[in-house]
Amino acid sequence: MEIIRTEKLEKIYQDNGVPVKALDDVDLTINTGDYVVIAGPSGSGKTTLLNLIGALDKPTSGKIFFESEDISKKTKKELSEIRLNKLGFIFQAYNLIPVLTAIENIEFSMMLLGVPEKERTERALAIMDELEIKELADKRPNEMSGGQQQRVAVARAIVNNPTIVLADEPTANLDSKTGSNLLDLMEQMNKEKNITFVFSSHDKQVIERAKRLIILKDGRIE
Amino acid sequence: MILKIAWRNIGRNKRRSIIVLGSVVAGVIALIFMDTFMNGMMYQMLFNRVSTNISHIQIHKKGFHNNKVVKDFIPGYQSAESKIKTVKGINSVSKRVIAFGLISSATSSSGVYIYGVNPEEEKSVSIIDESLKDGEYLSGGSREIMLGQKLADKLNVSLGDKVVAMSNQIDGSIGSEVFRVVGIFKTSSSEFERTYIYIPAADAQRMLNVNDKIYEFAVITDNYENVDQIKERLITELPADFEVLTYKDLLPTLIIQMDYYKETVLIVIMIVGLALIFGIINTMLMSVFERINEFGVLMAIGMKNRKIFGMIVTEAFIIGIIGTIVGLVISMVIQWRLASVGLDLSMFSESLNSFGVGAVIYPRLDIENLLLSVISIPVITVIGALYPAYKAVKLEPVYAIRYV
Repeated sequence: MEIIRTEKLEKIYQDNGVPVKALDDVDLTINTGDYVVIAGPSGSGKTTLLNLIGALDKPTSGKIFFESEDISKKTKKELSEIRLNKLGFIFQAYNLIPVLTAIENIEFSMMLLGVPEKERTERALAIMDELEIKELADKRPNEMSGGQQQRVAVARAIVNNPTIVLADEPTANLDSKTGSNLLDLMEQMNKEKNITFVFSSHDKQVIERAKRLIILKDGRIE
Repeated sequence: MILKIAWRNIGRNKRRSIIVLGSVVAGVIALIFMDTFMNGMMYQMLFNRVSTNISHIQIHKKGFHNNKVVKDFIPGYQSAESKIKTVKGINSVSKRVIAFGLISSATSSSGVYIYGVNPEEEKSVSIIDESLKDGEYLSGGSREIMLGQKLADKLNVSLGDKVVAMSNQIDGSIGSEVFRVVGIFKTSSSEFERTYIYIPAADAQRMLNVNDKIYEFAVITDNYENVDQIKERLITELPADFEVLTYKDLLPTLIIQMDYYKETVLIVIMIVGLALIFGIINTMLMSVFERINEFGVLMAIGMKNRKIFGMIVTEAFIIGIIGTIVGLVISMVIQWRLASVGLDLSMFSESLNSFGVGAVIYPRLDIENLLLSVISIPVITVIGALYPAYKAVKLEPVYAIRYV
């Protein structure tokens, strides 16, 4: 089943008044259960594409369909709703909320959705158990290693059962062993729970595990 | 959880939070201190005037207050006195013989208000007996006089010296009496010290040749704030040719000053608030710029702008509340101490005396103004956080996530 489809997607940035084309004529479809890696050299447009399909940015031209609905013209508030209800994000720098503990970070997005406190805690503990990070529940981000933080970030991204999880260079700040363990985990989630993952990465081990690889070069799909 | 995040964010950069908290505390202390100090000063001005010679209520024959002529004595004062004493709320009454006259010593003379009093009665409406610097209070004996330090200096007289007081009599002739200085008083008003003398009522009546006539009832009530109601009662009890004046009627300028001060409290709060707002804006902006990346993440995971806005405002509000409580506690300790020992401003005593305040100011708490300050400061901190919160919600998530 189709989750995301882009049509002639174009994104142009202004760099000191000079237009720079970050994406050019990108047509892409992502289906349920996909495990897609968008790869390409630096500046190829990977992150720009991820931001557009993640409802964080709007295209200069072209269309993005999320579950068959065109989101390219939606307001900031509407995009925020989509992100909250349908998307999970995993960032390169983990980006957990530093003043919250691991379990509070995981509960946070559920809180935004209005999930009752008791249910939030139960679901957060269950996902932490699954990801083998239950012992980190009361630790704050600065008390955890990079790998542990990224596992918490994965838990935060999937706890609301999103339609799709977008991971921007998730292994870039991790050593290869930790990165590999994290990828094992996400692969397992994809297989067992049919969670759709879209990665942007130029990490070899991420690319090697891709079920589907999209190569970007100068803003175009090769 | 928003409250939890806001609370924990305050503890994130302790130094910065302490600085903002410090400015809020300083603002609260400054506001409360200034208010209690000014309020104390105003109250002292009123208290000093009321308790030396004005009293809470004065009763005369109609017109006497504006034109103190000897013929305007109180007719049938004995029956009036009985009626006055039956009015509820009146604590004490002193009968006074008042005239304008001249006092002369061997070297100098000066125009004065002559107060002929019954010493015991006068003590119940005035603190003049407690204001003696040298000598004794009137004993009730004949030809005793008490005068102020300034007047004594001007006349170049001291205890035991003779002075002559003179005044117009009803028939236009001049009456005079010789007195011996038995007491020299010092008050917080240099004007009062220069122009008022106290002699026994009988001596004054003899000098004015008015037998046992009196010119004023000075009345002290059980609560100075109830004078208007008591005035109404007195008016209904007394004949129509009497005038009943409260201290508000007698000290209109001071009352206007006090009312004006109450109005200016709001202006002062606004000035302090404005300074505070800029401090809060500055600090909260720093806090927002430090967390741009974090706001980007919050936006990315779907946190609504109004919640981000609310979180930042809540942080400022918490600081405002804590700062207000700390400031209030410190202010209460300062107030508790100063209310008993006072604030000694002897170096400005000359100018303070000319205002009738006194060199030691006892700050006085006004609950209404205190509440105004206590409510205003947290509101002000929230106002100070509005712009930084606006800046935060205006961030583009894409830009904010990548911000380093």
